[in-house]
Amino acid sequence: MSNYFNTLPLREKLNQLGVCDFMDSSEFLDGVNALKGKKLVIVGCGAQGLNQGLNLRDSGLDVSYALRAAAIEGKRDSWKNATENNFTVGTYEELIPTADVVINLTPDKQHTSVVNAVMPLMKQGSTLLYSHGFNIVEEGMQIRKDITVIMVAPKCPGSEVRAEYVRGFGVPTLIAVHPENDPEGKGLAQAKAYCVGTGGHKAGVLNSSFVAEVKSDLMGEQTILCGLLQTGSILSFDKMIEKGIDAAYASKLVQYGVEVITEALKHGGVTGMLDRLSNPAKIKAFEISEELKDIMRPLFQKHQDDIMSGEFSRVMMEDWAAGDKNLLAWRAATGETAFEKTPAGNVKIAEQEYFDNYTLMVAFVRAGVELAFETMVQAGIKPESAYYESLHETPLIANTIARKKLFEMNRVISDTAEYGCYLFDQACKPLLKDFMTKVDTDLVGKNFNEGKDGGVDNRTLIAVNEALRTHPVEVIGTKLRKAMTAMKAIKTA
Amino acid sequence: MSQPVVDIRNFNLKYRNQTVLQDLRWTIHPGENWLLCGISGSGKTSLAKAIAGLIKGSGSIELNFDAQSARPAIVQYVANWYQFKDLEGQSNFYYQQRYNSQAIETTATVQADLQEHGTRHQLSFAEAERIAAALNYTDLFSSSLIQLSSGEHKKLQLVKAIWLRPQLLILDQPYNGLDTLSRKNLNTLLEEISASGTQLLLISNDAELPSTIERFAEIREGQFQEVAYHERTSTAVAHSGKAVPSFLNEAPLSHAADHIIKMIDVNIRYNEKQVLKNINWEVKPGEKWVLQGHNGSGKSTLLSLICGDHPQAYSNNYYLFGNKRGSGESIWEIKERIGLISPELHWYFDPSATVWQSIASGFYDSSGLYCDPGATKKAQVDELVHYFGLDEYKNTLMTELPLGKQRLALLARTIIKNPELLILDEPCQGLDQEQTQHFNQLVDELSKNGTTLIYVGHFESQLPGCIEKRILLENGAVKSVETILESA
Repeated sequence: MSNYFNTLPLREKLNQLGVCDFMDSSEFLDGVNALKGKKLVIVGCGAQGLNQGLNLRDSGLDVSYALRAAAIEGKRDSWKNATENNFTVGTYEELIPTADVVINLTPDKQHTSVVNAVMPLMKQGSTLLYSHGFNIVEEGMQIRKDITVIMVAPKCPGSEVRAEYVRGFGVPTLIAVHPENDPEGKGLAQAKAYCVGTGGHKAGVLNSSFVAEVKSDLMGEQTILCGLLQTGSILSFDKMIEKGIDAAYASKLVQYGVEVITEALKHGGVTGMLDRLSNPAKIKAFEISEELKDIMRPLFQKHQDDIMSGEFSRVMMEDWAAGDKNLLAWRAATGETAFEKTPAGNVKIAEQEYFDNYTLMVAFVRAGVELAFETMVQAGIKPESAYYESLHETPLIANTIARKKLFEMNRVISDTAEYGCYLFDQACKPLLKDFMTKVDTDLVGKNFNEGKDGGVDNRTLIAVNEALRTHPVEVIGTKLRKAMTAMKAIKTA
Repeated sequence: MSQPVVDIRNFNLKYRNQTVLQDLRWTIHPGENWLLCGISGSGKTSLAKAIAGLIKGSGSIELNFDAQSARPAIVQYVANWYQFKDLEGQSNFYYQQRYNSQAIETTATVQADLQEHGTRHQLSFAEAERIAAALNYTDLFSSSLIQLSSGEHKKLQLVKAIWLRPQLLILDQPYNGLDTLSRKNLNTLLEEISASGTQLLLISNDAELPSTIERFAEIREGQFQEVAYHERTSTAVAHSGKAVPSFLNEAPLSHAADHIIKMIDVNIRYNEKQVLKNINWEVKPGEKWVLQGHNGSGKSTLLSLICGDHPQAYSNNYYLFGNKRGSGESIWEIKERIGLISPELHWYFDPSATVWQSIASGFYDSSGLYCDPGATKKAQVDELVHYFGLDEYKNTLMTELPLGKQRLALLARTIIKNPELLILDEPCQGLDQEQTQHFNQLVDELSKNGTTLIYVGHFESQLPGCIEKRILLENGAVKSVETILESA
């Protein structure tokens, strides 16, 4: 198998990278009809598998689960999840031949073996659904020509997919049809019906491509989402310890701060996040984030270049073949950082204090979001796609750090994201060395406004506000967030 | 004379520029046990929280504990709302999650939760077991917190508070969601701890109280007023006088079927625990039912099957509105025909919606409003806002209102679409007697239009007059079905 994207002529590369359209709600008037009465068989029953299945069944569709014989015999969690919720469960051999749609919700790393196992069993003219395009685009998996290949990717963790559905809403979702595998032209109708089945159509659906999804997803998760949050958290914690801030306080500020700060980002974009600071702090955060952007720009560009050329996935797949040697070593090293090993103290930190005492993280997040967005758009990815893979997902990842720090974040994200996160983190820390020597506790650990009179120059403030508000990520974000007005606030500690 | 335990002088509290408490004075002396009653929204909860130091106002509240006492020198406030966390310390639970068997392992067991409480406060676990036994709670020790019904959560709060034996115990609406026997048992426990030195301050509108409660008070226009027991705000309530909005006086759209509900040997179990056993039940169009049973008897689970909220619906044999459940219908097609209120719906409801949006969301069975309802529906929401006396709150966020007001908004949401089937699971929790009676009068009015009704309520005196039939559950099985009023 060879990298699918690299086999395409430039014209077609640009064509597939540059699709991502926000779909009008009238596109979904046909409801679940395109899948009504069809047999949907989900392979894998983890958080996404179970929760998508619960939603689809509650939308009147026929759902069952195909698991490996070993998972059934061993009564593993996937088997328990499915049977205890009264789903039919069977082996690949029992269920795949009856399926009209096979839904592959296993981890990336297993895709090749899963698809190789199910494809010969799939009936003529059936559909294979992915929630991530890695296998098709980066590994170049070839699917039988009679089979329709589509993608439906809810942009939230599995539990949110369920929680939003039962409250009568949904989560933003990305859909795509693989142009090499749409023999009957039914792919889009089925993908749309699937969205209605999971509730995604109420929260905004992006019509994208396998290529655009993979290239933007990899970029987002490696840089702003996981990589920079990890680097920023560790550097911030270490700085506070160096400057004599109480370790338990520092641990709590970093663990929960990123969640509280990005909650403002979720509702009001970069502008909303910066607006939570006092005027002097906002100007300061703006200035240092400009500096951070200049320092980190080459690194963001390198990540995007390696993703586009296929170099990133080649190296990562080598590590898969080597039994995850690098991944496991880096995971262990992350577990040994001082931040990870210092429990959050039992001190009360008020919501506003997280902004006032952690201005540095506000600057990190702004720099990372804007850089990731700019770099993706420069590489030919549409702003809609770039928005979802940068700004939109940042609060979701921040939530995992609040739960149990970086270890939890790296456990929850895919191995692919985790691998890219470590690559970024290792390259980014040395880049920021000089920058960090200039940082003091007014930016992290203590209230920035302490001892200042709060006065600012009008023209400077206006220029800063203007720069923040007119950035392209804010322009597209304002439009997309309108479609998601009902996002639920995450309860914070 | 010894110092007062609580001495409140010139206490003022404002909430969003509205005066809640004004120059309030109140002295609680050692040995006194008080009941604070009166209308919903008068500031009872605010005052209790201020005494417990949970909110601040101006003026002084002085607490003097007995240094000689072995009891902890604290004020323990038990809110009328429960909270719990998962094993990762989060409380991001979602509606109907407790019926998903995968969720069971996300929270601690009752046993572990109590042990943690005991260790933190250095209490003897045997005492918790004794209190739990008195509240008939022992069987739940192995349950996961997320599986508990609202009444069972309430009891857990009470067990913890009584176990603590603080010098001053404030219970805000402790009887909410408790069945008749549990209320009686709770009173016995409260009499016992108050006789041995814990002073009680109860906030409640219930008539049956611990015998040790001897002082009664209300807050009237922000001021404290002691009242004699019989002087409490009158319980006889005149008809509200407001006309029911005309769009609710039409017969609900009905898609005629022989049965609204028909259940045949319905069973629900989680691992070893059987929650519903061989339930057979038929509800015909237009019937008015009351569903009763002790806490944990399976009432909420039974209703969750009817409302499309239970994942195990698909392995059971029952019919809703004439269609077999699990025959290709979506839960939204079911919910469209039902107006539901329950303690859980309230607990999980989107607190960031305004009152107006919350009511309008009843048209779409969602928690919060995600679309523009259009002119006709908007006018109906406005009419209902007015009928429920919520005009001044219509643009206020739910989270900023006291629970009683939130509940009124959710009751309006329940009936806004004039549904075929009304499911009212303890609808009047947190309302005062006048509000309860007004709501039940409204239910009686609606029932004349042919609406089918299932009402859950523990007290006969608080049921609407139209109830004709009763189904009684015990330990997950139907104990009896009876006709209590022949329909006309």
